[in-house]
Amino acid sequence: MAQTWPQIALPDYPSEIQADPRELSFSREQLLKMYSAMSLARTFEEKLAALYRQGKIFGAVYLGMGQEATSVGSVSQLQQGDLFSTVARNLSAWFYRGVKPEHVLARWFGKDQSPSNGRELGLFLADLNEVGIFPYHNGSMASWIPAGAGYALAFKMRRQPNVCLCFTGDGATSPGDFYEGVNFAAIHKLPLVIICEVNQFAYSTPPQLQMPVENVADRAAGFGIYTETAFGNDLFTVIAAARRGIEHARAGNGPALIEFKTFRRRGHGEHDDMAYVSKELRAFWEERDPVAMYRRWLTGRASIDEAELKRVDDDSDRSVDAAVEYADSLPFPKPETVGDRLFAPSPHDPKPEDRSNHVEPIDNPAIPALTASGERKTGGHF
Amino acid sequence: MPQITYLQAISNALRDEMRRDSSVFVLGEDIGVFGGAFKITQGFLEEFGPDRVIDTPISESGFVGAACAAATVGFRPVVEFQFIDFIACAFDQIVNYAAKCYYRWGIPMPVVFRGPTGGGIHAGPYHSQNPEAWFAHTPGLKVVLPSTAKDAKGLLTAAIRDNNPVVYLENKFLYRHYREEVPDDDYVVPIGVAALRTVGNDLSIISYGAAVHLCVEVARMLEKEGSSVEVVDLRSLTPLDRETVLASVKKTGRALIVHEANLTAGFGAEVAALIAQEAFEYLDAPVMRVASLDVPVPFSPPLEMAMLPSVDKIRAAAGQLLAY
Repeated sequence: MAQTWPQIALPDYPSEIQADPRELSFSREQLLKMYSAMSLARTFEEKLAALYRQGKIFGAVYLGMGQEATSVGSVSQLQQGDLFSTVARNLSAWFYRGVKPEHVLARWFGKDQSPSNGRELGLFLADLNEVGIFPYHNGSMASWIPAGAGYALAFKMRRQPNVCLCFTGDGATSPGDFYEGVNFAAIHKLPLVIICEVNQFAYSTPPQLQMPVENVADRAAGFGIYTETAFGNDLFTVIAAARRGIEHARAGNGPALIEFKTFRRRGHGEHDDMAYVSKELRAFWEERDPVAMYRRWLTGRASIDEAELKRVDDDSDRSVDAAVEYADSLPFPKPETVGDRLFAPSPHDPKPEDRSNHVEPIDNPAIPALTASGERKTGGHF
Repeated sequence: MPQITYLQAISNALRDEMRRDSSVFVLGEDIGVFGGAFKITQGFLEEFGPDRVIDTPISESGFVGAACAAATVGFRPVVEFQFIDFIACAFDQIVNYAAKCYYRWGIPMPVVFRGPTGGGIHAGPYHSQNPEAWFAHTPGLKVVLPSTAKDAKGLLTAAIRDNNPVVYLENKFLYRHYREEVPDDDYVVPIGVAALRTVGNDLSIISYGAAVHLCVEVARMLEKEGSSVEVVDLRSLTPLDRETVLASVKKTGRALIVHEANLTAGFGAEVAALIAQEAFEYLDAPVMRVASLDVPVPFSPPLEMAMLPSVDKIRAAAGQLLAY
């Protein structure tokens, strides 16, 4: 019998979005665009989980259900030229930024789909030019915080008014890379924005075993950077907090860390049944599912027709069906290409004929401290 | 042509590339105001300013990750490790971020990781190591080790212009002990081309880095005794100039591999395997290796000298092979 983590005191987050639509500056199209990305991600991930259970996906599957508001809300505040990196939980951010679902699924199927061409899992994507997702190292979610500082450094060196936004999670604020990256960015006042989604579990380990303080924001105090802690399942709370962090960084005031409390509705991967999560905790967050909350708000307070949202949901279904068809039809990469693309071509790459018997004698006298023969008791100094 | 040290050659290559290409910048510990622990970047801050000569906090993983990132958006960063031993702190960023980026996404990452390697200067276990095998084992990294001042300049120039991550390993013993004429002008030593340091017919000694000088000394000794020894300086481990190694061994029929890094799973094992597989019929004697003993680099001089390869150890092995 699997054990569950002891119950923690649950915060009093509301189960309905609080924003008054009259006080928001979003057009109807903008509201629907955000809903569309969230709906498409939810439909896509449900399909992906089904395909996984049917044995149609190689390897493991990791889903981001429950983190659609943090994902879409944060990237909705980015501007042209900004860069960002995502966790396995931010598929809806990709869709919001225009990544095609059929391309994502083709990568999950291990097909010959650029830019990874079968060399990387479907949940990782780097695309600097089209989407603005920077290449990152996904061994640990802390490991791209130094990279984020590097992109922010590049912006600063070019006097370019852009920011680099990194999604990360509660567990990823434990490794040293997190501190090394934040420290470097803070010293040089770099335009780095960290969106930390506290989704309650790093695989199976809860925040109270990651850190001795209540909030990730408390950990950042030593760097003197801008921080906020907010509820991550209310889309407009996310948008407001992300905007403040992004504006702070873009204005040249240094990094911002925005911490969102949210919940990973599925296991670490689909192989994980989340037996360690208490029923009460699940029920609390299920009542606050960000997609359902936003949908209720749209039809309720924003007076958008149910029929219109139904059309968006139907479009999501059709897109995902079309994605399966596309991914199925695409060929696998050819086995003989496995060694391709290890090194980028370079201006001074030797030609085969350069590699034969290049004679360049060393005529220098011996170096006594290095080459002395006989009793050699000591070396030298530098 | 002026005679300059191995250290000055590295410094000149770096300065020349920074003058030629505004996308090149350097970062590392104490490299700005102080000019670097070994003074490779002395005067750089004054000439290039703090945007291009960045004194970093002590956080190798952090500044390596940042440099790698900048390399994918048009910069050509050169990272200095104060001692190469500290590269272990950035191992993850180098082997998991830098080495795999182009293979995963097709996004080139032109970044150079450079720093002083090697022992013989009584600096103990954490300031004397030779970590080339860690990186030669990682697909996606180029690994170069200059043995001369001329190569130090030409290989660093090639490394900075290369579109891939390059681990450029300097030998700190050679910094101020080795001096030769080095052209002032712009030239490169292509990565992946070995050099014959002596030409001979009886025995091939395959080496790289500072150990090449031990091998050349042994070749000179044996020459006087009537044996003709060919010293092959690999200069690059990845990519490896297999053609030159095999051509030499096929000619001499005897192979001795020498490196300062310790023996077990050292790069010499890779070279020995290559020779065993591709030149077996040409061999008149077993392939032998001389390397450091399999212990951490000890501090006390008699222990350190006992651990390192020496002219005597190489000469003894060469004698065995010639007499086989």
